[in-house]
Amino acid sequence: MNTPIRRLAFVLLAVLGLIVLDLTYLQVIAGPRYRDDLRNPRLAASRSSTERGPIVSREGIVLAESTAEPGSGQTFVRSYPEGPAYAHTVGYTSLLFGNSGLERQYAGELSSDSDLTISGIIDTLLGREQGAQGIRLTLSHPLQQTAQQTLGDQTGAVVAIEPSTGEVLALYSSPSFDPGVLLGESPIAGDALAADPGVPLLNRSIDQILAPGSAFKVITAAAALESGAANPDTLYSDPLELQLPGSTAVIRNADRGPCAEGTEVALATAFRLSCNTVFGQIGIDVGAEAIGSTAEAFGFNSEIPFDLDVVPSVFPTGSLIEDPPATAQSAIGQRDVQATPLQLAMVAATVANGGVVVRPYLVSERFDRDLNILSQTNPVELRRAVSPGTAAVLAELMEAVVESGTGQAARIEGVSVGGKTGTAEIPGEAPHAWFIGFAQSEERSVAVAVVVENGGNAGQAATGGTVAAPIARAVMQAWIES
Amino acid sequence: MSRNAEAALLAGAAVLAALGVSIVRAAGGDTPDAQTALTFLVVGLAFGSLHLAFRQWAPNASSYLLPLAALITAVGLVEIFRLDPRAATLQRWWLLIAAGFGIATLAVLGRFGTDLLLRYRYLFLTAALVTFMLPLLPSNWALGGVEVNGSRLWLQLRLFDTTIVRFQPAEFGKLLLVVFLASYLASRQPALVSMTRKVGPIVIPEPRQLFPLVVAWAASFIVLVYQRDLGASLLLLAVFASMLYAASGRVAYPLVGGGMFLAGTLAAAQMFDHVQRRFDAWLRPWDDFADTGFQIGQSLFALGSGSLTGSGLGLGRPDVIPSATTDFVFAAVAEETGLAGSVAIVAAYALLVAVGFGIALQARDPYRKLLAAGLTTVIGIQTILIVGGVIRLLPLTGIALPFMSYGGSALVANVIAVVVLARISHEVST
Repeated sequence: MNTPIRRLAFVLLAVLGLIVLDLTYLQVIAGPRYRDDLRNPRLAASRSSTERGPIVSREGIVLAESTAEPGSGQTFVRSYPEGPAYAHTVGYTSLLFGNSGLERQYAGELSSDSDLTISGIIDTLLGREQGAQGIRLTLSHPLQQTAQQTLGDQTGAVVAIEPSTGEVLALYSSPSFDPGVLLGESPIAGDALAADPGVPLLNRSIDQILAPGSAFKVITAAAALESGAANPDTLYSDPLELQLPGSTAVIRNADRGPCAEGTEVALATAFRLSCNTVFGQIGIDVGAEAIGSTAEAFGFNSEIPFDLDVVPSVFPTGSLIEDPPATAQSAIGQRDVQATPLQLAMVAATVANGGVVVRPYLVSERFDRDLNILSQTNPVELRRAVSPGTAAVLAELMEAVVESGTGQAARIEGVSVGGKTGTAEIPGEAPHAWFIGFAQSEERSVAVAVVVENGGNAGQAATGGTVAAPIARAVMQAWIES
Repeated sequence: MSRNAEAALLAGAAVLAALGVSIVRAAGGDTPDAQTALTFLVVGLAFGSLHLAFRQWAPNASSYLLPLAALITAVGLVEIFRLDPRAATLQRWWLLIAAGFGIATLAVLGRFGTDLLLRYRYLFLTAALVTFMLPLLPSNWALGGVEVNGSRLWLQLRLFDTTIVRFQPAEFGKLLLVVFLASYLASRQPALVSMTRKVGPIVIPEPRQLFPLVVAWAASFIVLVYQRDLGASLLLLAVFASMLYAASGRVAYPLVGGGMFLAGTLAAAQMFDHVQRRFDAWLRPWDDFADTGFQIGQSLFALGSGSLTGSGLGLGRPDVIPSATTDFVFAAVAEETGLAGSVAIVAAYALLVAVGFGIALQARDPYRKLLAAGLTTVIGIQTILIVGGVIRLLPLTGIALPFMSYGGSALVANVIAVVVLARISHEVST
């Protein structure tokens, strides 16, 4: 009987040995990976015992700061003085809920723990600054406040970009939340936020893609112009409804009538009045491949390089190539075409910038405790999306929209404003109201994208021109006049 | 090693526990208080009195058993105190109660010898089965079952609407079953070894001899289904299979038993959501981190954060691990004492298992060999199941880590197991 008992002992001890090996792997070899996992609440806990650098707006308004807790030299409390206005962008560092936004992406720069890496030791020996760094954002406080006030309690998002540099001037998502409530020891407030049916934790400016509706016609027009098949004066037939080839489906205009007189209409007029019949036809003429490659040149179907993770916008070229009816519907921004507000703001910015796509960014500089600038972000041109000529024509087309078309609510006296409205039909729900555009004065320029989901307060009656354009106007004006 | 050395080591364990409690207090910015003295006194009193009982009723017993148990208990008490001082107070009471039961057991065995257990074989079997079924008593009875965390493992005594005490009878059922199996298998050993039948190329023993295996499989499966306790059923089956193997030397028993259990578990995973969730959490913890993977994820974060030398007692965040004082106490210790501490703890268990099997090897007859091997297997398998679960080597099963997890029933049962082992080792040389 001793032999089996010996073997049994051997098996149990061998498994215990295996456990020691696994422990060595988990605690030492893979340990740093688990320790630094962003979901590990200890990260936030360890940071609360070290000072963290401030986050300030473009103007220097404090958006996040650490203050020493009275009576203890060891614990620092993070606070977010501007609360909901910057909640999604600045994010939070919470013991219970982890971290998000720039607080997460710049966790390393913001925390002051001088670690024992070789470079850390060398820096310490050389007396280099090891303290918490601060970061300055490109976000402008008046724009951010305007976005918050004009959206009000409507669900949606506002993005504003400086077209030539890519500085993001406003990035706001509504409904928002107060990141301060996530900092406490109790999970109740945070759980309530997570369960809120309005999904306030979702950053609608970059984390959600929606049908862009007619705002997408900027890209369809760009593809038509770039292909050389059309110019603003090219005439298209003006039917009451566009019969889609090989299909019983039709495309109608928003008012169920013809685009103009019902005979022939120029591309410029169709763009100004946002005629679906004409742009459906242009979509069929130009083809999914050309529209797709133009959309991709603007940034669709790939990840936008940004300080925060952005959901890629979608133009499903592959599934449209053999399908002219679907191509026609995609050309007017319906069906499976979906975009983030940031992506559409970049489209407007690219037009205003002469056709060159510039990398958007949020962090303009990092500074140390003594406010010495440690690094600055330089604008980066990513690629040319359309030729300077096409960009100029698109700008003119968009200016006509604001001057005498669907986007007149965005007009600002004495300033050159261009734009495109969008009213994305959602089956069974009120439409999403969009406005993308730009404003340029002698000194300043700005590009924006505004979306108000499901029509906002206007509900079924909402259009991009009535609901989103006034918000865009207010935001653009805040920048031009500041 | 002499009894005096044992006494010195036990004093060392009491000092270790007191030191740990002081360090936890210091980490919180407090000075040592009455808790330190109480911890020292309780650990000293419990193991000191067990030591005296050893001198009285098992003077020639192995002197490694008590110090190892005391060491692990001390570390567990410190970590429980660090996580939940109120639970530590209760656990101290349970330690004293466990010592009382241990001494009583040893006194009885000292008077009548281990052969006493041999005599009432079927009484033990009946008692074991009854203890397994007790939690199924209606929960509105004064002595009734309670469901905790989806498992119906608890029995509670309620008088005048006040819960007097709660315990897990299965902890004692395991020991009773081991005692029964040891005496049953020892008497049937020759029959088990002879493979008389042939089915195709496979030789099997008389079907009659396979009966215990079928009972084992059925019992463990019933526990799994009715009490929703994957851990206890796995443990039962492992102990059955191990003891059958020890008695017969035929690998077929553990293989067939393991295969049957595997089939049963896979079927259960299909049928029962809570079993399925355990498997999901084990295989894909990060897929559904917020829900099923949360526990094991927090455990892995704790292990990784502990690194080589740990955060230091009282300085980590093991409080964010769910069930840190019970199922995950090992992860809590591993975070605060690092790999150094966690390997030391595993080494302590390995030594305890080695000592237990050493006693089995030296025991004077098959019955005692099987009893010692069975009790050691219970301790060893429990350690492997829960530590393996906490470090994601195995699916997580809610089982107490012997001597370390917060919980009175387990502590009492484990002290009794060690006491019986001690008595067997004493009887080698008499």
